[in-house]
Amino acid sequence: MMAKLIGKRITRNEDPRLLTGQALFVDDVELPGMLHAAFLRSEYAHARLKGIDLSAALERPGVVAAFTAEDMGDDWSPGPPLVIPPPTIEDVEFYTRTQVPLVKDKVRHAGEPLAIVIAESRYIAEDALDDIVVDLEPLDVVTNIERALDPDSPLVHDDLESNIAAHLVQEKGDYAAIREGADKVIKRRIVIERGAAGAMENRGIVASWDIKQQQLTVWDTTQSPIPIRNGLASMFGLSEYQVRVIAPFVGGAFGPKIMMFYPEEVLLTWSTLKMGSPIKWIEDRRENFYATTQERGQVHEVELALTSDGRILGLRDDFLHDTGAYDPYGLTIPLNTQCHVLGPYEIPNFSSDLKVVFTNKTLTTPVRGAGRPQGVYVIERMLDIAARELGIDRVEIRKRNYLPNDVFPYDNVIIDQAFESFIIDSGDYLPAMEKALEMISYEKFTQEEQPKLREEGRRVGIGVVSFIETTGVGPYEGARVTIESSGKISVATGVGTQGQGHFTSFAQIVAERLGVDVRDVHLVTGDTAQFHWGTGTFASRGAVVAANAVNAAALIVRGKVLELASEALETPEEELEIEDGVVRVAKIPTRYISLGDLAQRSNPLRGAVEPGTEPGLEGTAYFGPKYGATAFGTHAMIVEVDPETMIVEIKRYIIVEDCGTILNPLIVEGQLHGGVALGIGNSFYEKLVFDDNGQLLNASFADYLIPTAAEIPTIEIAHQVTPSPLNPLGSKGVGEAGAIPVPALFAQAVENALDVEGLEILESPLSPQRLFELFHGEEKDA
Amino acid sequence: MRIEGEHVFSGSREDVWAMVRDPEVLAKLLPGTTKLNQLSESEYEGEINLRIGPILGSFSGRIFVEDEVPPESCTLKAEGEGRAGFFKGSGTVHLTEQDDGTLMVYEGDIQIGGKLASIGQRLIDMTSKTMIRQGMKGLDAALEERKAEAAD
Repeated sequence: MMAKLIGKRITRNEDPRLLTGQALFVDDVELPGMLHAAFLRSEYAHARLKGIDLSAALERPGVVAAFTAEDMGDDWSPGPPLVIPPPTIEDVEFYTRTQVPLVKDKVRHAGEPLAIVIAESRYIAEDALDDIVVDLEPLDVVTNIERALDPDSPLVHDDLESNIAAHLVQEKGDYAAIREGADKVIKRRIVIERGAAGAMENRGIVASWDIKQQQLTVWDTTQSPIPIRNGLASMFGLSEYQVRVIAPFVGGAFGPKIMMFYPEEVLLTWSTLKMGSPIKWIEDRRENFYATTQERGQVHEVELALTSDGRILGLRDDFLHDTGAYDPYGLTIPLNTQCHVLGPYEIPNFSSDLKVVFTNKTLTTPVRGAGRPQGVYVIERMLDIAARELGIDRVEIRKRNYLPNDVFPYDNVIIDQAFESFIIDSGDYLPAMEKALEMISYEKFTQEEQPKLREEGRRVGIGVVSFIETTGVGPYEGARVTIESSGKISVATGVGTQGQGHFTSFAQIVAERLGVDVRDVHLVTGDTAQFHWGTGTFASRGAVVAANAVNAAALIVRGKVLELASEALETPEEELEIEDGVVRVAKIPTRYISLGDLAQRSNPLRGAVEPGTEPGLEGTAYFGPKYGATAFGTHAMIVEVDPETMIVEIKRYIIVEDCGTILNPLIVEGQLHGGVALGIGNSFYEKLVFDDNGQLLNASFADYLIPTAAEIPTIEIAHQVTPSPLNPLGSKGVGEAGAIPVPALFAQAVENALDVEGLEILESPLSPQRLFELFHGEEKDA
Repeated sequence: MRIEGEHVFSGSREDVWAMVRDPEVLAKLLPGTTKLNQLSESEYEGEINLRIGPILGSFSGRIFVEDEVPPESCTLKAEGEGRAGFFKGSGTVHLTEQDDGTLMVYEGDIQIGGKLASIGQRLIDMTSKTMIRQGMKGLDAALEERKAEAAD
């Protein structure tokens, strides 16, 4: 019997190290002779670069080197497109314009780097930035995605005819035809603003070239060390084996630390190769606001066509997506939006015209949710409005439109972010909704408590929304599992870790398969010297793709263990069991051999080994899903709005989450808590405010508010399990689920609380002042 | 950022005008000004130390006077930069005679960038109002001095 560990609530293996300061972060790396870099960044959002004079900076004592784009010579080139443009859709327009290591001709967003200074200390390097004389000719700026499409708008990329980065139309069924016969057509404009990821640890890089070993080592806060290794090797003409990228412990990533080939990653590597000294750069918070990618930023023109009893006939969602100054991430975000606007609902006819737009702002790439929250916001808001206009309860309209259980796998016809058909692998939506209603006492609240509180003049409201989350996309991940002669297990996988609990959830799988203590399974993630095949940590894929690779590798080792033990114990494999670190004969518990002894037997120092056998109790395996597994759930909340200050208090927060097989509920719940916190930020606090000149007006945590523990309510969670049929563990991702439905839920609950005839919330994020305007504006009109 | 307001001076329009067009007086008018040189009839260059919340920095810049209609009105353009960012603005000043002296009406727009915008934004409105108030106070004092000198 295997001890059941998968699914157990086990405290995290990594926490003792993290909590006692024994975990390595990039800024902990100190090397002999290490120099420090600082970047000169443009204060203008759009400007022609006429010249840079570094001479005064180079004269400053302690400055070792300083470089501009010109100094890079032939090594200067725009970054690689990270997600290749879609080849499969007809008539797609796509213009690849990727970020540059240092500005050569034109600045396209405030914060774009103009020069790097390398000095004996960061202090000296930063002081030297002030010595640099830059000649920039300011140009007219475009920040608004709608105005960017005006024929007379300034162009972000002069060689293009317009600011359109991509244009793509996706169709399912025939929306135009169904619209004709619809009982009800609802049309709205929905605006979603841009926010920051705001990880606790900013980005950081240490690059070191060891000339005698001809070995480049880069410590990098990246989510994707393997692609970064391969990319850097290719950029600088090194063999992949000469490059080691280590993503050590990382203090949160949330998307922007994906394989960006950020200017700083390229520049630090280029500089260390040129100079031979190790160099460190740690991003400061203000740089993070300008130089680390951001997300959200869309304007939707939506139409929902329904029957009079609230059944969806079709949906049209034409929208603009802000990609900022460059578009290395292709269509990932807006394709996610297009898929998630379909939600868990049966929408037979769909039409969506998407334009991706360049602006003079920091570029956008996925941030936890990655286009999904926008899609969920759009469909959930439209259903709320439809329910009101048709006189149907908002819960009922959702129930009437859920995809029934017998349709899975359900092909939504349009393509998803992987350019494959958007197929939902499995689902069971109604019970998740019913459970959430029960937990929040929907009936009792709406029928008894809310009317009573309203009579007392209190603005209390309830919200309930459903969502899906595509997770666990390919292509693949791998893992290597080794039993050491001590009997302890080591596991290496290529994904990086930024707080997801991989050291525990993956260890649980291995411990269950090999009958050992979870604490005896030691994991290495994100070190290309340990494992060098794979993609990275993003798209809620660790618990799906990497975990299944770990599982497969552990099963290979289990097979080897049983085979060897069968020989040693002279007992057929079927009569053996693995438990407590030993293999024993099930019926004769005193006959056993430890895993450590078996490991030693598998790697003998003397004697002949039979041809064809491999030494060691080790297995390497890979897993790539056919397509992504789709998680889902229902969130519900009760809020109270203070009618004078418009401060929203969240009274209760309920989650019913279905992420398939749960590896560790403690970790799943932690992910949900963090996700909801980000979602609450996206709903009410976090908005990056740019002025018309592309200046970010709140580039500090004094002005850009993120919710603190005081703003995050107690979160009550129930789990439902619908295993994914696409992988042996049946797991689905949960990394982004918490964040995805929150803005839609928040808008619905606040609208319900304010209870003003005709007041519709069609934007995100809100803020107390914006709610005040909406509330009083409507009152005046009435 | 939009700046607008008015101030009544207890002096003649000619005196107020002469004062506004005097670099030495202008240097007093803007608190923190460390240098102000007249380059031509309509162009000045100078340096100013500003403190806006956590930002402390020296800015060097130029002021241009355009569309001058003495002693009634002019357009002022200013631009400057320093380690804490840049600013660029333009505005108009109108002087009207009235019973108790001279009414100055001013309005303009200022664009700011860099740290000034990203960190100072929340405070710049308040800071600029304080600076204008102090500047007007300085002008009032200068005007009294001028009147006293004339009386001697």
